Amino acid sequence: MNNKSFGKKVLGFVQDNTVPLMFIVICAICIPLSGFSASYLINEIVTRMGRNIFLILCLLIPIMAGMGLNFGMTLGAMAGEIALILVSDWQIWGIPGVVLAMILSIPISVLLGYFCGKILNMAKGREMITSYIISYFMNGIYQLIVLYMMGPIIPIKHSSIKLPRGYGVRNTVSLLNMRQCLDNLLAVRVGGVKIPVLTFLIIGVLCIFIIWFRRTKLGQDMRAVGQDMNVARDAGIKVERTRIISMIMSTVLAGFGMVIYLQNMGNIATYSSHSQIGMFCIAALLVGGASVDRASIGNVFLGVILFHTMFIVAPKAGAAITGDSMIGEYFRVFASYGVVTISLIMYETKKRKNKSLVGQQLAQAQKEEEAQNNG
Amino acid sequence: MDNASKTRRLLFRLGTVLILIGICAVMMIVGRGHTVYFDNKQLEYNGTTCECPYKIKVLVKDEQVANLKAKERGMATTIGQNFAMTLKITQEKGGDEVVETYQLKLPYNMDGIVVNLPAYLEGLPEEAWMSEFVPIATESTAEDEEVPGGDEFEMEDLGDF
Repeated sequence: MNNKSFGKKVLGFVQDNTVPLMFIVICAICIPLSGFSASYLINEIVTRMGRNIFLILCLLIPIMAGMGLNFGMTLGAMAGEIALILVSDWQIWGIPGVVLAMILSIPISVLLGYFCGKILNMAKGREMITSYIISYFMNGIYQLIVLYMMGPIIPIKHSSIKLPRGYGVRNTVSLLNMRQCLDNLLAVRVGGVKIPVLTFLIIGVLCIFIIWFRRTKLGQDMRAVGQDMNVARDAGIKVERTRIISMIMSTVLAGFGMVIYLQNMGNIATYSSHSQIGMFCIAALLVGGASVDRASIGNVFLGVILFHTMFIVAPKAGAAITGDSMIGEYFRVFASYGVVTISLIMYETKKRKNKSLVGQQLAQAQKEEEAQNNG
Repeated sequence: MDNASKTRRLLFRLGTVLILIGICAVMMIVGRGHTVYFDNKQLEYNGTTCECPYKIKVLVKDEQVANLKAKERGMATTIGQNFAMTLKITQEKGGDEVVETYQLKLPYNMDGIVVNLPAYLEGLPEEAWMSEFVPIATESTAEDEEVPGGDEFEMEDLGDF
């Protein structure tokens, strides 16, 4: 009996954590094959944690509000990039440049978040696919601004940023003068591993903010909206407004996250930096064990560690197994899209299972009631 | 919501916006980056000829950024408008090194600033020793940059993440 319940527990645990367990197995196989030293691997993971966690944390708020995985975080990333291009042209360097870019990104992010929230309110129940398509639509607007309006309408002075034709921004904008300025300030070396203390402090502040925010009136409203919109509306919560606020918050945080991400990279790939960011952040969160309707800070950290370990070791492991590192590269892409697909399928299956369970219970209760009445 | 709380909310929002604008203004000033070029070149100004010393070592924040013999140029990057440099000047070959620290006020609107050290040491007016560095425009064709323009759907470059 005990063995049976233990087996059930293990099965339940495996079912609940299929994706993280799968990635633990992949990492366990790939790490020895890659041949990387432990210190190199830890160094890379710590760097990528500092670079990505802030961006991934911004996904938690829309999940709390029941809006699923926010593919629209790309909009915030675009806002961050526009702000960084302007700051780079104005020659504001170092930490002041990062702070200025973050502040400049706020109005753009608020505007885009409001727009996205409004549209998502019109597409309730299909938020993820809608936000995904919005990000493509907004990419067109972004290109229009960056490719045609920067120069003639939005002044861009420096030829190192402007295209030779006189308008539009170059493919790559250098952020050399603010490269890793956040990461290097207060950085500590422990056993050859560089720990970007300031970046982690900023991430820590955001984690505390999210924990605090959940307990506020607005946070509680978001959770209520996330659980059941109709019940929340009956309770007097302005559902649409709450959802828009969650989108705005997520977009603003994504803008900040993108600034942190790009200062670490040291350059902006003007037309492609933002395009995959939503997909990878969502994949990392799902790898950490989150689902469409449930995610925690712990999922973010675990996800970043597992997903990026896979990202680091996959090319080398691929080369070791097949003799071609491109296999590893493709494997990374395959795993990213695959994990999103698996999570969505699992979420949908679980939802249907629960629905049918509720139906069965209802039928059973009806049967019992009828039997009682007949008796 | 009563009027008092509406006013309070409005004031709070306005205050936040003003604080953010204030922070932006401060960041614009304190974070303005400049590249300072040091020339150890002979200069003539209003009939005065400034001879260049044999060697000038330029130190910024205790770090040597240039070791300039005659007709040479060095550079350093700095953030903000106050620029402090220490010069180790050797007037003649085999001569003694004189160490002196100088403070410069850099103009906000210039990205690159050329400082002629002999003229500066001579005590000439600012217009004589300071000028804007204008980079020479390089000829480049539109083919150098491939910007998005097609309507095809393609597998995007993964890049680093």
